[in-house]
Amino acid sequence: MTKKKRFGISEALTRGLSETINVVENNAGVFRNVVLPLSRIELDPENPRKLAIDLIDIRAGIRPEDPNYERKQIELEKLRELAHTIKSSGVINPVVVYKNGEVYRIVAGERRCLASILAGKQEIEARVFNEKPKGYDLKLIQWIENTAREDLTLDERLGNVNDIIREYQQMHGDVEVTATVLKNITGLSLSQTTYYLAAINAPDDVKVEIQNGNIRNLDKAALISGVESDDLRTQAINACVNGSSLKEIRNIISQQKQVKKNIVSLQASNRGPKTAKINMGATRNANVVKRIVDCVVNQREYDKYASIFTQVNWNDLRQTTKAFRKLIELMEREMVV
Amino acid sequence: MEIIAFVNNKGGVGKTTCSKLMAEYLSKSKGLRTLCIDFDPQCNFSHQYLHMEIDPAAPEGLMPPIHPDFDPTDPDDAEWDGRSSIAEIFYGQGVVPYPTYVSNLDIAPGHAEKLLTAESVRRSEVVDKVHKQLASFLNSPDVAAAYDAVVIDTAPSKGPLTISVIKAATHIIIPSVMEEQPVQGIYGMLQLWMQESLTREKSRPLQLIGILPNMFKQTRLHKDILKSLQDNPAIGKYVLPVKFSQRIVFAEIDAADSAPRSIFDYQEQHVAKTEALEVCSHIAERIFA
Repeated sequence: MTKKKRFGISEALTRGLSETINVVENNAGVFRNVVLPLSRIELDPENPRKLAIDLIDIRAGIRPEDPNYERKQIELEKLRELAHTIKSSGVINPVVVYKNGEVYRIVAGERRCLASILAGKQEIEARVFNEKPKGYDLKLIQWIENTAREDLTLDERLGNVNDIIREYQQMHGDVEVTATVLKNITGLSLSQTTYYLAAINAPDDVKVEIQNGNIRNLDKAALISGVESDDLRTQAINACVNGSSLKEIRNIISQQKQVKKNIVSLQASNRGPKTAKINMGATRNANVVKRIVDCVVNQREYDKYASIFTQVNWNDLRQTTKAFRKLIELMEREMVV
Repeated sequence: MEIIAFVNNKGGVGKTTCSKLMAEYLSKSKGLRTLCIDFDPQCNFSHQYLHMEIDPAAPEGLMPPIHPDFDPTDPDDAEWDGRSSIAEIFYGQGVVPYPTYVSNLDIAPGHAEKLLTAESVRRSEVVDKVHKQLASFLNSPDVAAAYDAVVIDTAPSKGPLTISVIKAATHIIIPSVMEEQPVQGIYGMLQLWMQESLTREKSRPLQLIGILPNMFKQTRLHKDILKSLQDNPAIGKYVLPVKFSQRIVFAEIDAADSAPRSIFDYQEQHVAKTEALEVCSHIAERIFA
C-alpha cells in the first residue's frame, strides 16, 4: 500500500507569509525608510542645536555681516569634507525625521542633510516617524546617532546623557537613574555608564575643565571626579590638563590613598573582651619615644619635668622604655588634677 | 463607521459572496446602516442588487441603471445623467448610492469602463488620482453620518484600485480557498497590508481580521493546507476559526430569480444559514465589539 499523500503550502510561501506578518506586528505605525526630497526636509527649531550654520547659509551662502561668520565658515569647511565622501559613496546611514504637515523635521542627521545639499544631492534616505517622537525617545535616538560620531566633545556627550536622564525621570517620576538603569536605556556597558554618571556628577572644578575642553577623556573625568580631597583633586586635574596618562593620574591618587588607608585603619574592630586600658605599643626606634617626650616636655605645663629626661641615654632601649613609662605616669598625674 | 474590505488578488476565491453575506448580515441581523461598494470592474457585486446595464458605447462591461431618485425634470438633476457609480470619485462627481431590496442596505455600484480607466492612469499620477480617492470619499462627513458600516468588494488584483481600498479600509479580511494558488494570493495581500501598516499612524491601524477559509471541502488537500497555515506560529493567529464550506446554495442564491433572495431569509435550521450566521457574527464581533 502506498503512503497517503500529504499536502501543504511551499516552504518559501510559508516563510514569506510569516515574515510579512512579523514585520507588520513589530513595526506597524512606528517608522519606515523612504527616499525623501531634500527640499521637503527642515531643521527642527524645537531642538537645541550645537551647529550655528543653517539651511539658508547652505543654500544662499554665509553673509559676511553674519555675527557667527567665522564659526559658520569653520563648520562649512567640515561639512564640505563630509559632502565629498557623500558625493563618492552616498549617505550610509539614513537620517531620522518625523512628519510635520507637508515637511519633515530632522531628529538626527543635520550634518548629513546639510552636507548632502552641498554635495548637490536632491534626495536623501530617511527613516520616517509618523509623529514626533516623544521627548525621551527623541533624546535617545539623538544619543544613539551621536555615539557613532567621534567629533563630539566630552561636554556634548555628557550633555546628551544628562538629557536622557532628565527625560527618563520626567517619564518615570523622579527616580534615581543608576548605572544599571542607564545601561539598560542606552545599551552601553556598565563601566561606561558608571563613568558617565561619575563625570555628570563631577565636582565643579572638574566640570569647568570639562566644559573648557581641558579634560576630554571620559575615563579620566570619572576617575578625577571620584577624588574627595580638594588638594588631591587639584593635583589630579593639573596632571590631566598637562597630559598625564590615565595610569599616571591613577598613581597620583593611589599614593595618596595609601596614606589615607593607614589613617583609616585606626578604627579598630569591636571584637574580643572590652578594653580597659590603652596599650601604648612597642618600637625599636628609640627616636620615636625621644620625639614624643620632647613634644610633651615642650608644652608649658610639662617643662618643669624637663630635667628628668635630660639624663636619659636615648641609645639605651631599657632607659628609653623607663623614660617613656615615667612620661605616661607624669602625664596621668597632671591630667587627673 | 467601520470600513470592511474583502481582498485577495486571486480571482474566484469568493470575495463577492463573502461581501454579500457580510453586508446582509450587518444590515438585516445587526440593523446597521450599511453601504456596499463594488470596486471590481466586473461589477458582480453590483449585479446582485441592481439590474446593471450593458453600455452600448463601451464594450468593457456593465454600468449602473438609472437611479430611482433621478428626476430629469428637476433642475437640480439637470447636470446629471441619472447614473451613479463609486467610480465617480475619480472624476470629481458626487456618488449617489442606490437602495436595495434589503432594508438598511445601500450600494454604490461599480462602473466597468470608469473603474478600468481609473486603474490605467499613469504611474506618476496614480498616488494623487487613485490611491487616496476612496479614503477621502469615505472620510467625508456626509458618508460617515449616513452609514455605520461599509463593505467593499475588490477586484482580483494588487493594482491601484485595490491599493485605494486598502488605504480606505479599517479592517480587511482575506478569503481564500485552501489551495496553493489562492494561498499565494494571501501573500500578495499581506504585502499590501504591510506597506499600508508601516505608513499609517499608530492611532488608526489597518486591522487584518484574518484569513477566511472559503469553499472548504472535507478533502485531504483542503484539510492539510488549512492545518499547515494554522500550525505556523505567525500565520496561525490570523487564520479565522470559522469557515465557509463549499455549498451550491451560496451560488444558487446569486441567481436573479432565486427565492428567498438572502441566505438569512432561509428557515432557522438551514445548514447554510447557520454557517453564514456563525462566520458573519464572528467577524462582526471582532470588528464592532
